[in-house]
Amino acid sequence: MSDMIVPDKVPNEFVASTGMLERRLRFVKSALLDTFFVFYSVIVLQRAVYYRFILDLRDFPFSWSQIGMVLALSTVAGFLWTFSRTSLSCRLFGISKNDKITKWTVEIFAWFLFDITFIAGWIVTRISIISLFSPDGIQGAERLFSALFHPQFGIFDDALFAMIETIYIALVATLISIPLTLLVSFFTARNLMKDSKITFVIYYVLRILLNFIRSIEPLIWAVIFSVWVGIGPFAGMIALLVHTIASNAKLYSEAIESIEPGPVEAISATGANKVQIVWHAVVPQIVLPFLSFTIYRWDINVRMATIIGLVGGGGIGNLLMQYQGLARWREVGLIVIMIAFVVWVMDYLSARIRESIY
Amino acid sequence: MLLTVQDLHKTYPSGKHALKGVNFEVKEGEFLVIIGLSGSGKSTLLRSINRLIEPTSGRVLFLGKDITHLKGEELRKVKRQIGMVFQQFNLIKRRSVLSNVINGRLGSLGTIESILENYSDGVLADAYKCLDTVGIASYANERADSLSGGQQQRVAIARSLMQNPKLLLADEPVASLDPATSNSVMQYFEKINKETGTTVICSLHFLSLVRRYASRAIALKGGEIVYEGAPSDIDETWFKRIYGEEAEEVEIR
Ligand SMILES: Nc1ncnc2c1ncn2[C@@H]1O[C@H](COP(=O)(O)OP(=O)(O)OP(=O)(O)O)[C@@H](O)[C@H]1O
Ligand SMILES: [Mg+2]
Repeated sequence: MSDMIVPDKVPNEFVASTGMLERRLRFVKSALLDTFFVFYSVIVLQRAVYYRFILDLRDFPFSWSQIGMVLALSTVAGFLWTFSRTSLSCRLFGISKNDKITKWTVEIFAWFLFDITFIAGWIVTRISIISLFSPDGIQGAERLFSALFHPQFGIFDDALFAMIETIYIALVATLISIPLTLLVSFFTARNLMKDSKITFVIYYVLRILLNFIRSIEPLIWAVIFSVWVGIGPFAGMIALLVHTIASNAKLYSEAIESIEPGPVEAISATGANKVQIVWHAVVPQIVLPFLSFTIYRWDINVRMATIIGLVGGGGIGNLLMQYQGLARWREVGLIVIMIAFVVWVMDYLSARIRESIY
Repeated sequence: MLLTVQDLHKTYPSGKHALKGVNFEVKEGEFLVIIGLSGSGKSTLLRSINRLIEPTSGRVLFLGKDITHLKGEELRKVKRQIGMVFQQFNLIKRRSVLSNVINGRLGSLGTIESILENYSDGVLADAYKCLDTVGIASYANERADSLSGGQQQRVAIARSLMQNPKLLLADEPVASLDPATSNSVMQYFEKINKETGTTVICSLHFLSLVRRYASRAIALKGGEIVYEGAPSDIDETWFKRIYGEEAEEVEIR
């Protein structure tokens, strides 16, 4: 037992064994991070504390040359601070001194950063306790809430048709997405595509493309398509379709990547061709996860379809925008209640269906 | 000669030299058993024979034809004639026993036909016959994963019989079964070997099973053949040479 390495010996050995280059690199990283910390603190202190509280300015002066000067000074300060081995970044990169002073500076500075970030956040988001509790505001909110809870049923027929439109937008987008997603997902599954160079390139390009499409919100796709095909449910449907394919292809292909290799091997040992292997060994292992993802996505799509109407994608969101613009809150109340009801039903249904197929 | 393996080497991409110059021949109708410690290269050897993996060098001759580096359609034609049974059964769990068995015929069915699962009466009759051979025709419509381990392995055997194989490979087919079930599964291999004259190459762990079923045995150690001969000649000395000085034989009946 006595031969075992004592825990605090380990870091020393580690430091001794890391090369010169590695330590230089850590120094540079740490100096850059310190530069950023100093720069950030100075800017926040200047703008949030000095301009806002001390001078109480409404519009903060802004000039690039001033920022540049702060940056230059911070760079010097940052490097000097890292050089002294007492900074927060030194501790983060494991090159700090191990004495009391360092411990104190690191702790104090970390708290300082946290505090000024909180203060800056407060100012940027314009948190205002006063407006939250102003009598005027509260009265307005009361009016709105009471209108929402006394919905006007006069537009019920219109709202119902718009709602049906929304549900169909989601349904059609989900249905059309299934075959397309299936097709795409086989080409984005690593285990099926890694064998040859050509297929691997296809895999790679498709992955990047899908990531790109997925990173753009359906709301923005709806804006794009309402220009492309004109405002209306069709634009909303395509927007959802595009985003659904990109998101589900990722989930589908992850399911394909995690299948058991045994059955695939067994089928290929019978002399089956590639298509047969995929159909008889891969597909049976993935239908259930696919079904589950797709039903869940339908649920998400109904929710998104209500939102997409706000930017010209048709359906109930469109109606909501109209009545909100006219400040007819009791009509808005009806629409909101209908949306909540449908979303709740969809949520429940999709959960139950997904439970029962597993 | 049904199968000739000449100076076979396999080095995995990881750098592991798993087979180091293996030579042997198998005559038609033999029941050859491969023994050896874990990691000695048994699976690697069996997989090189039906070309689930490609050997690094050396040759595998099947029915006199060099199959070592075949590709595409030609490779599939060879695979069709070699059945394989795995330790983990490797059935499609959610499909029925019957469709698992029919999967054995995929190599000779058309792609469209097999996707539509529009099988001829002849294929269905064959599938039932194969199930009958392993005594589980009554389970044809059950889900594969509802069967016990021994029964699942019998389904896997039936699947390989659908290929009408000239050679049947089995990689530790009974390693995850209890002793009694092991014996009953091995009896089906024996029956197939005796009744249809199908050549069997099987890797096993228990010497009592080897003595009971093998017509000939090969022992691998570190990727090389260290013993070749009658299973009854594997005495205490040979046993220690194959499995190491520490090993002791355990009995299974
Ligand atoms: N795909 C692979 N990649 C890299 N090395 C592998 C691979 N498959 C097997 N090996 C290595 O090759 C050697 C032989 O493995 P093999 O599976 O053939 O042994 P085995 O005799 O079948 O053992 P077991 O009784 O455990 O199944 C082992 O050292 C193993 O780690
Ligand atoms: Mg093995």
